[in-house]
Parts: sequence; structure tokens; C-alpha cells
Amino acid sequence: MADSVESSSGSGYAEDPRRQNRLQRYRDLRFSEEELAVILLTPVVSFLLAVSFYPIFDTIVGSFYQGYVLEMTPKEFVGLENYRSLYGSGPLLEQFLSGDGFWNALRVSLIYTFVSVPIETALGLGLALLLNRDFRGKYFAQAAILFPWAIPTVINARIWAWMFNGQYGVVNDLLIRIGILQTPFPFLAKPDTALLSMLFITIWKTSSFMALIMLAGLQSIPDTLYEASRMDGAGRIRQFWDITLPLLKPTLLVALIFRTLPAFQAFGLPYGLTGGGPASATTTLVLFDHQITFNRLNFGEGAATASIITLIALGIAMLYVGTLYEPEVR
Amino acid sequence: MSYDSNPLEIDRFQWVGKKVGFYGSIFIIALVSVFPVLWMLITSLKQPGNVVTFPVEYIPRNPTLTNYQAALEQAPFFRYMLNSAIVASGTAILDVFLGALAGYALSRLRFRFKLPVLLLILGTAMLPFIARLIPLFSLARSWGLLNDYLGLIIPYAAFQLPFAVWIFQAYFKELPDSLEEAGLMDGLSRIGVLFRIILPVSAPAMATAAIIVFIYAWNEFLFALTFMTEDQMRTITVGIALYQGEFQYPWGTISAAVFMSVMPLILFMLFFQRKVVEGLTATGKA
Repeated sequence: MADSVESSSGSGYAEDPRRQNRLQRYRDLRFSEEELAVILLTPVVSFLLAVSFYPIFDTIVGSFYQGYVLEMTPKEFVGLENYRSLYGSGPLLEQFLSGDGFWNALRVSLIYTFVSVPIETALGLGLALLLNRDFRGKYFAQAAILFPWAIPTVINARIWAWMFNGQYGVVNDLLIRIGILQTPFPFLAKPDTALLSMLFITIWKTSSFMALIMLAGLQSIPDTLYEASRMDGAGRIRQFWDITLPLLKPTLLVALIFRTLPAFQAFGLPYGLTGGGPASATTTLVLFDHQITFNRLNFGEGAATASIITLIALGIAMLYVGTLYEPEVR
Repeated sequence: MSYDSNPLEIDRFQWVGKKVGFYGSIFIIALVSVFPVLWMLITSLKQPGNVVTFPVEYIPRNPTLTNYQAALEQAPFFRYMLNSAIVASGTAILDVFLGALAGYALSRLRFRFKLPVLLLILGTAMLPFIARLIPLFSLARSWGLLNDYLGLIIPYAAFQLPFAVWIFQAYFKELPDSLEEAGLMDGLSRIGVLFRIILPVSAPAMATAAIIVFIYAWNEFLFALTFMTEDQMRTITVGIALYQGEFQYPWGTISAAVFMSVMPLILFMLFFQRKVVEGLTATGKA
């Protein structure tokens, strides 16, 4: 890095007349740091305000209207009506535990998120510890393990839909061969096993991603710490709790945020695997939102659901940052 | 172990056992990771009549390419891939450019309201995509950007910009101050320093940001499904997801299509694996 800089500001640099000319042009563009910051950040900030913040604002406003967006019916202010119809009827706890529609989707999303993310984190950490040594073939092992992460979710859903096929699926075949099953089982056609299958697939896909983030974190922990603690007679398990885990905390925070928010917004996997079925057993919140917006064309309720998803996502992010964030020591 | 056995021999025995255990577990994990794609390859090579058999055929008898031929005849796969490539590269270029500018300002310039601006940019990453879908859909419609590459490039670039900014600012923060001071002494302006000194040495950050953004845009589904309604404009993920035979699922053909679409990613991962890992390191370090 330093070499290339030296070569570009070396002695030949100032004498070349073409470069001199360009230099002059740059000299005429002098700004204070503050002005330059404004110039560099304005495109980025206005881009984000227009393409990310305005739409969210629009969605929240739209959640109070009926016949929103496609202007197929005139906009009509209905207040909290869209939220009320999502809520359904009955007490809160009862709705949450056995309600359908929005409540079912919320339940599915919460189960999906809070079952898959801890397992992925633990598996990812295990994998990272395994990969965090030097061995022959490490390059290929890493490439192979990173593989599931690179496969597009919805294509992945298609692959597994075939592997979990109730009649000809290879998963059934393997389970029969090792004696766990007697006859093929229709995994994706039964509500409970459909959700379990979906969990299995997402854990399969994202554990590798978690492993790589944590591998990066592990590699930034200096070896001298381990050597010092070995001198003090600490065993592997002790080292893990006293050195590895505390120093991995910032990495864990990033990994958890990176995984929890997307898991809560799962769409491609249920869409491609089961289409949300059987009987809404795998309908996540975003899939539910997509269905009411584009199949039932109920834009008001769609916007209300999206607003609730936004609130929950921000809540999750704040929860993580609040519990795990440590200000940088500098 | 018998009492008189050589202690060195015991060590050797344990050592071999450990090695076997270690490589064995690595092998099993790697096999579990690649098995689904391997399975698509196996299925795609089977004679159409042998795809739906039970017990399953693990090594295709009389392998054939008919499934590939069928897949290519029934849907414009290369067109889908080209669409994905255009959208993903456009997104990556836009994000590398904007991300580098913002990353430089946030890491190396002193100005008021730095923290709020940083939080605004990074906080964008927490906002759900579905809540941006419908307003952006109606915007794209009124601007004539549905079934247009820009209609996907613009939202994708906005969604991934926080990550690009983060990668660049983390990278720039590590550069020594002497680098810029030398440039300023040589009479360059701040902009001159950015374009003539900082950007030329930030190729690693550019590569990482570009790769992460590219993979995201290649894989995205929700917006691609909604914004590209004409068959010729579909990206590969949507093309595969919507692929159906006339009567029942032609799994052999689907497997061929899936394998063709995943093939470039496999090569990409093999060649750029180290870069991807570095990229995750940069974002993971926080």
C-alpha cells in the first residue's frame, strides 16, 4: 500500500507538465473540510432520504388510508381502521397464541427468527473455531462452507423443495436408508414439519455466513493473550470463556443484527418452498404482507403490516445495540 | 496401552486420531454444504424417466443433457442471467462510488453533525425492505422505471449503501495520516488528495464493497419479483422461482436450470473466496 503511494508522489511527479497542469486544476478547487464534507455527503444523504426514508414515511401515512397507492379507489382517511382489522377480535394473548392472519404470521416469524438465529450463532461459532487453525486444504474447506450463503434464497428454496419432496425426495431416501423412517414422509405437506423443514434449511444456509463473520472476529484476537493465559495454567475451556467470548462480543453484535433483521423479514424461502402453506403454517410476516397487498390488493392493511414490521425491526435493533454495544475504547 | 509401550508411540497414535477426527469433521461439513447443489447436478443429468424413482438413483444411469436442452428451450435463461448481471454490476458501481465519497468524509474529515449523519446512514440498514416496497413501486411506475434496469438498480443501491459506506470508512480510518499530509504538502487540494492518493490505494475496499453489493443484488427476490413483470426483464432468481412446467413440476428440467444459474456463483466463490472473507472481516470488525 505504502509503495504505491510513494511511487505516485515520487520525484518524477512534479516535473511532468501534464501532471502540473492537472495539479493546477485541483488547486483551484479548494474547500474547507466542512465544505468538502457537505459536498461529499449531500448525494449520499439525499439519495437515502429519497429512496429509503421517504418510502417508509409514505407507508406509515398510507396505513391510515384505504385504497392507497394504485389509486384504484380514491384515498379515504380511515384512522386506525387498518390496524383494527389486522387485530381481529378477542383478547391479545389469545389472538397471539391461536389467531390467524396477522397473528399467525407474527407467530411464525417470531418462531422462525428466535429459533434459527441462536442455533446459527452457536453452530457458526463452532465452525469458526474449527476453521480458525492452519491446515491443508483450508482454502477449499472455506469455499465449500461459504457456498450455501452464496446461493440465492429463493433458488435455495427450490432446491430443497425437491430434496424434501414427499414421494421422490432424497431426504426421505436417506432417512429410510439409515433406518429413521420406514416410508417416505411428506415433510412439506404437514404444518409442523413444514415449519421445521424451513428452519432446517435456513440454519443450513446461514450457519456458514455466521462462521465467516466470527472467523474474522477470532482472527483479530491476538495470540499473545492465549499464550499468556496458558502460562497461567488456563485450559481451553477457561480460555474460551475468559478471552474468546468477551473479545468476540462486538463481532457477535454485528452477526446477530445481520442475521436477526433479515430472518424477521424472511420472504424468499417460504415463497419458494411452500408458498406459505400448508394452511399458513409457514406464512411469515413479510409473506403475509405481500399476500394482502398483491393478492388481495388491500393496500391499507398492507401498509399497516409493513409499519408494524418496521417498528418491531427497529425494536430488535435497539435491543441488541442496547445490551451488547460497548463504546470504543480509544 | 501396555505398561512398557513407548510414550512417543502413544503421542503418535493420539496425533493420528486427532488428525483423522479433524479432517473427517471438516469433510462432513463441506459435504453437507455442497450436497444440495451436487444433488441438482445429479438430478439434472438423469434421463427424464429416471428423475422420479424411489428408491432414489444416486449415480445417473446413461447421463444425458436433455434436461438442459429443455430448460433452455422453455425459458430465456441467458437473458435472465444477463439481466441479473447488468442490475448487479450497476448497483455495485453506484455503491462503490457513493460509498467511497461518504466513507472518506466520515472517516477523515472534521465537521459538525458527524455523528447524526453517520447514524442516519447506518440506521438505514435497519429499515425493513417491505415497508419501502409499495411507495417505491408506485414511484417507479410513475417514472416509467418498471421493467427497467434502473428501477432495480436505484433501490438496491440505496439498500446496500450503508454497508458500502461502512466498509470504506473502516478502511480509510486505518490509513496513516502521513499519506494525506504528503499530498497536501505537494500542493494538492483535499479533493485532489481523495482522488489522486486515497482512492488509488483503496482497491481492496472497493473490491470487497463491490463483491458484497453484487451478491446481494444478484440474489434479491422481493423487489425483482414486483418491479420486473415482463418475462424478458426478469432476473435469474425470479426466472427460476416462477419456472413451472405445464402440468406438473418437471424436476429434471428445474434442476438443470438451477444448476446453470448457480454455476457462475460457484466459480465466483472459488475465485473470490478470499475477498469475500476479507469483506466480511471488514464489516464484522465493527
